[in-house]
Amino acid sequence: MNLKQGIALMSSVLAFGLATEAGAVCTQTAASQADRDLWNTHGCWQDFFLWQYKAYGLRSGDWSNRGWNDACNVNLEYPKHWNASYLLTYGMLDNWDQSFHGTEDYRATAEARSSNFHDSLYHSVTDRTDVFGTFTPRFWPWDTDRVETACPLYNPTVSNSNPGSRAGDYMHEGWHAYFDKYSYDNGNTGGHRPGPQGACTINGCDYFYFHGISKYVFGAMWENNGTASRFHSPNQVQVEFLCDVADQSQWWIPLSVRQTAASDANARAASRFINGPGYTCGSPRPW
Amino acid sequence: MQRNTRRVFSRAGTFFVTLGLMSGSMAVAQDRPTAEKPSDLPPSRVIAGRPLHSPPKMTVEDARKSVNAFITWAGQSVVEEQNDARRALVSAAKSPELIQAFIEEIIEANKSGDTSRALVALGLLGEMRTYDGAKFLVEFVRMPLPTKGTVIEGELQEEAQQARLQAKAIAGVAYLRNAEFDREVAYQAGNHPSVIVRAEAISAYLWNRGDTLEARKELEPFVRKEERLYLDRVRRVSGEGAEAFNRKLTAYLKAHPEVQAPNPERKDPRPPEEKPNTYDVTPPKF
Repeated sequence: MNLKQGIALMSSVLAFGLATEAGAVCTQTAASQADRDLWNTHGCWQDFFLWQYKAYGLRSGDWSNRGWNDACNVNLEYPKHWNASYLLTYGMLDNWDQSFHGTEDYRATAEARSSNFHDSLYHSVTDRTDVFGTFTPRFWPWDTDRVETACPLYNPTVSNSNPGSRAGDYMHEGWHAYFDKYSYDNGNTGGHRPGPQGACTINGCDYFYFHGISKYVFGAMWENNGTASRFHSPNQVQVEFLCDVADQSQWWIPLSVRQTAASDANARAASRFINGPGYTCGSPRPW
Repeated sequence: MQRNTRRVFSRAGTFFVTLGLMSGSMAVAQDRPTAEKPSDLPPSRVIAGRPLHSPPKMTVEDARKSVNAFITWAGQSVVEEQNDARRALVSAAKSPELIQAFIEEIIEANKSGDTSRALVALGLLGEMRTYDGAKFLVEFVRMPLPTKGTVIEGELQEEAQQARLQAKAIAGVAYLRNAEFDREVAYQAGNHPSVIVRAEAISAYLWNRGDTLEARKELEPFVRKEERLYLDRVRRVSGEGAEAFNRKLTAYLKAHPEVQAPNPERKDPRPPEEKPNTYDVTPPKF
């Protein structure tokens, strides 16, 4: 081991220690109506959460005071996390003539396994309130990429604390992992480009790489040809997923889940892209 | 850096490697999550147990309570129950007490911070198409946006949250399809401080007029010059096939070549991962 590696290890282990020592949790007093409505469609399905924790590479220590041993308490972070996974695992319609992408794409982006979509990753949770989520690439070749979701996706008074927005963040962070796998640089502002610039009103902008429907076979969202004609950015994948939840989800998906997804998609599409707004979706009819 | 210092760092590094590996292996150990009363039923059976087409009745005598129950039901309801809700709302729209109860529920949901419930309630009030309801929605849209709070990626969350609700409210105002209220929608399309609301105002104004060229011409003078692009923005409509959508997209890209993104940029590749996770088990049967 050389000097540089020694120092790096010391800092990362110390940081790990400090992070795990921090005992704070997100607000655990309630769940949004959209979370509760989706929850009521499964009533805390054990077979699913026993599959989900493996599929997302969850580590018990990360979630120990967040519902790991209280997995049916929808007010806590871990149940909210698997509730969002349930939405993207079973809730999409996979309508070739109308969906942007299919379950295969969304699952592979979110889940831990190494695939054409990204190298192996695992999902963790953070108490930060200044981000929705983060992607941390591995430092060592034997290590694993990490996706962390943060309190604004779990605190019941924040608008993104709903299953669609949470799962949408799995897409977003998973797509940062995609950029790392295929060696693309999306900018140095948290993996985005600085802003405001162009039509992007925030500080963390992407480009929208417009494509039609039925242009990507389900399971082929990862494909790119190195040019803007066949490519996706993290915010774009998120918008397309949210639009599919809003308009192309299974018949049993509650309307509160669809409406919050449409609202997130449209707000994101209007404010996060340099080259003008992304698609709008969800009906302008109020109900 | 001297040799002794180097040795200290090297040993400390080794110590922390051991510690790191220990903590890592502890973290990787996956004991199963547990719960007190989980369900063994697959969701298909849970869903089959929910009766469809049974909205709770809204009554003037118990306006607030019954409207509260209706909003809860509407949030849980599914697309094929949308017309049940619409029928109930047409009937409720005749009663000022029920309209007032919806308004109070919106205020309450907004105060509690449950955006998903507030969105549902705003949508229901907009769907009622009443003068008093629309008047409230206009007031809601005009509420000043928060200026303090949590910033994520340069976006003030409290502001964005309220803007998303105001966008839902402006869609309700536009749905009334009344000249007086249309002027408000057109005004907000250019003047609302949030692009989220301006974008929705443009979309709702056009949609409520069948996306005609005439509507576009009427609205154009109100829209900010740098946002005229929104007048042609591609909307994906539920039920619209690929061919129709792709035709709209092609026309949009042809009319606005400036929206073409530059090619993505490359960075140095990283070493391949050493231990890929290959867990690929089919999720349990729905």
